[in-house]
Amino acid sequence: MSEMTYIGKSVPKVDAREKVTGQVIYAAEVHLPNMLYGKIVRCWEHSHARVTHLDLSEAAKVPGVVKVLGPGDVTRKLYNTGVLDLMVPEDMGKHLLGDIEDQRIFTDHVRHQGDAICGIIAESEEIAEQAARKVIALYEPLPVYLTAAESSQPGAFQFDERKPGNMAFQLPEQMFPNNAYGWGDVDAEMATADLIIEDTFYVPKVKQCQLEPHAYVAFYDQSGRLNCWTSTQMPKCVHNKLARLFELPISRVNLVSTTIGGGFGGRLGMVFEPETCAMAMAVPGHPVKVQSAREEDWVASESRHPGKYRLKMGFKNDGTPVAADAHFTSDAGAYFSHSSGVPFTAGSWLTGMYKYNAVRYKGDCYYTNQAPSGAFRGYGNPQTNFVLEQIVDQACLKLNIDPVEWRKRWHKQVGDDGWCIGFPYSSCSLDECLDRGAEAIGWKEKRARYATQSGTKRRGIGVSVMNHTSGAMPMLLEHTTCTVKMNEDASAVITIACSDLGQGSHTVLKQIAAETLGMPMEEIHLLVNMDAAGFDIGSHASRTTYVGGGAVLKACEDVKRQLIGRASTRLGIPVEELEIRDRHVVSKNKPRRPEGAIEDAADHLRNNVWGVGASMSIKEICNVGVYHFVNPMNGEANGIPGQIQGYASYFPSHNSPPFGACFAEVEVDIETGQVQVLELVMAHDIGRAINPKAVAGQLVGGSHQALGMALTEEIHYNAKGLCLTNSFTDYKMFGPLDMPKVTTILVENPDPVAPYGLKSVGEAGPVNPVGATANAISNALGIMFTEAPITPEKILLAIAAQGLA
Amino acid sequence: MKNRLITLSVNGRNYRLNVEVNRTLLQALRDDLKLVDVKYGCGSGECGGCSVLVEGRECINSCLTLAVEMEGRNITTIGGMMRKGELHPIQQAFIDEGAIQCGFCTPGMVMKTASILAKNPCPSEDEIRRGLEGNICRCTGYENIVRAVQTASRVMHESDIQAAGGARP
Repeated sequence: MSEMTYIGKSVPKVDAREKVTGQVIYAAEVHLPNMLYGKIVRCWEHSHARVTHLDLSEAAKVPGVVKVLGPGDVTRKLYNTGVLDLMVPEDMGKHLLGDIEDQRIFTDHVRHQGDAICGIIAESEEIAEQAARKVIALYEPLPVYLTAAESSQPGAFQFDERKPGNMAFQLPEQMFPNNAYGWGDVDAEMATADLIIEDTFYVPKVKQCQLEPHAYVAFYDQSGRLNCWTSTQMPKCVHNKLARLFELPISRVNLVSTTIGGGFGGRLGMVFEPETCAMAMAVPGHPVKVQSAREEDWVASESRHPGKYRLKMGFKNDGTPVAADAHFTSDAGAYFSHSSGVPFTAGSWLTGMYKYNAVRYKGDCYYTNQAPSGAFRGYGNPQTNFVLEQIVDQACLKLNIDPVEWRKRWHKQVGDDGWCIGFPYSSCSLDECLDRGAEAIGWKEKRARYATQSGTKRRGIGVSVMNHTSGAMPMLLEHTTCTVKMNEDASAVITIACSDLGQGSHTVLKQIAAETLGMPMEEIHLLVNMDAAGFDIGSHASRTTYVGGGAVLKACEDVKRQLIGRASTRLGIPVEELEIRDRHVVSKNKPRRPEGAIEDAADHLRNNVWGVGASMSIKEICNVGVYHFVNPMNGEANGIPGQIQGYASYFPSHNSPPFGACFAEVEVDIETGQVQVLELVMAHDIGRAINPKAVAGQLVGGSHQALGMALTEEIHYNAKGLCLTNSFTDYKMFGPLDMPKVTTILVENPDPVAPYGLKSVGEAGPVNPVGATANAISNALGIMFTEAPITPEKILLAIAAQGLA
Repeated sequence: MKNRLITLSVNGRNYRLNVEVNRTLLQALRDDLKLVDVKYGCGSGECGGCSVLVEGRECINSCLTLAVEMEGRNITTIGGMMRKGELHPIQQAFIDEGAIQCGFCTPGMVMKTASILAKNPCPSEDEIRRGLEGNICRCTGYENIVRAVQTASRVMHESDIQAAGGARP
């Protein structure tokens, strides 16, 4: 594989130049003639209320207002902004998992602060905002529930009659007896344990905080097509969902995928596309732009699932994890959305990690009056990491076993059941991750040094491991379609629906295409157009390089097959004896080009080094396929007709899970409770890095989100359910001064079933720094913290209550 | 609301604008002049996405600045950083160091970098990190952005620092 030209090379991102010159078009930059401006009017003063009276007459009188829209002026169809229903068969989604549609474009039952009650369309943004202030809405307040513990009480207000007790989801009895999955007899195994560690943890509601606020343009044009410009992560799913919601054939919806200013799950499924499109449908012939304010993102879009996570683990004195018994009760927030997805999946990362004799996981969630919970990079994994990895470290402490050694002994290996039970791991390089990470941070030496400390600053070092997935099969649908059109000059256009959130997926897809086709990246254009492209499920589950890349690889191989087939016919050489080299189809039996002669390949051909008549240039094959002339003199046609197009409708056969080990070193000021993260080492089992710099960028960037969840980030509500942290001042993310040095180690042992041996990285970053940081703090203070984020207040209270070890 | 006629020099070009006195510089640039390379990220001076350079030196949040305050001033946005079709060394450094992911913070980050380096051509890592506070990036963890500032600092000559100022003579 040493001959590869593009795979493994840190080529610059294909869109970097456009981005650094300010020329990329995010949805907010779309400007069309006759454009009007839409304003989604939200309820800001209640988190749970019935709209008893809505008067839009004064708003309609504001000069420049074109239309006001109440709940009855738009479709009353119910929908679900999440996309689980497009990823599982209907039988499973609706009947087994209990997925429901429970959202409306404008509601008269406000279920969270920021729920949309009506819309204004005006000639300018300012006029629309002015009119929004003239909307008269009267409310009947309803009881407010902020946690599952409150909303699950008997007698609580019922959010949805289809969900008794406000339980949005639990693992279905028909699939999983006693609403739990796992293996073995947990109770019997637990009874054999020499040591049992049990605790109940709290994981916070944290926000994606993508920097680009949600903005859209929608346009119901005179041809009867609904056009929507959106920075969604899942263009095809949103395409489908909008078509269904507005009862149009998919071919009459034109979804334009604009540059995405960050996603992290925040744009997984629909966000404010329904409201925007409903407004556009009300003013046919006029595009409508909706630019939402940053504050709206906090109150009206989805976040990570918060909740209570109980874990009980039993161990033998030698460290054997005899049993794990877990129950994650999360807060769904106001609507169903990902209620089945996250509580279901959070346990997969638990069952997929270690070789327990027996394990049982229960996951459920309940409606509350918080903003809806949904997808956030990691999808249940950071929550599980915070809990599982701390319990393991507590056991190691009590059993006097080195935490790195325990993990090496008990983590799952190749051939063991993967995160989806019954689906074995195809590769695992976690031992190497642990060894190289431990060495890089100086694990043994520091662990020994920090065992005895005094003074006001205490240092600690912690480790955490993780597993994830590359695409969501076999649990969810995995499918990407790709076409590769060869132009008459042998340049290529790849058409695909995969989105690039900034992680660089379009760059690596082009690298894969260039490598497979054996041509320069500069001669390949990647076209992302929903009318032209076939299906793709969207950017989620760390799948785009793995599944999208697989589709590109297969479509390019199809092109190669066609090229070789045509050359075979023309040259009279069997296809088995032909291969593609230096942009020619050549006979394998001719002498190979001399080492180091790549630059001169064309010259060698011209000089007949490889033999005339035994090769055809790809350009010639492509050109003749298009310009298929018939010679008027003799009536003979030249070459083989037909423009070459490669095609793949690709369903991967595996999910090649990546693993990772993170080491964190912290310093805790025991007088102020302040935690300074000194260093992170992230060793990641990447299989093969297509673009090493981009892979490292995912790990470092993801760690920023993990450190926030571990130490500073949480959405807070007051007792009325009104959001207290709806700004970047009140919601504290790590800044440039807070970030530690992050060392990344890419462990490259190609996965046997993956395209080019690659495994995913997109969701790895935000996962195991959570557990590693918590373990480092525990190592520094001798206190385990069960509630994230571990703030200075919690540290000082814990020191006061428990004393230092 | 009163209006006022102002002159703004943006990226070396003069514009005459009739603006309401409470209109922000961000609105004037993005909505009135359609210079959409300046980003709206929060509207409250917390994210730095709307950062622009004034007189080639001071970086300000255009969302917190009134357009009328900028009467007669020279403003540079990321759209004014290239010279004769060539990327500015800061722009090149952002590409080379992988400092760009989603790119939404990039216009503000590049302008903030121009300001940091205009005031201190050879900043320490700590000075760079301190200088970048106020500009939020949610993708990169800042590491590659810090590297980009360091790289730009190394390759930039005094003339380039001046050039970042757009309309300076």
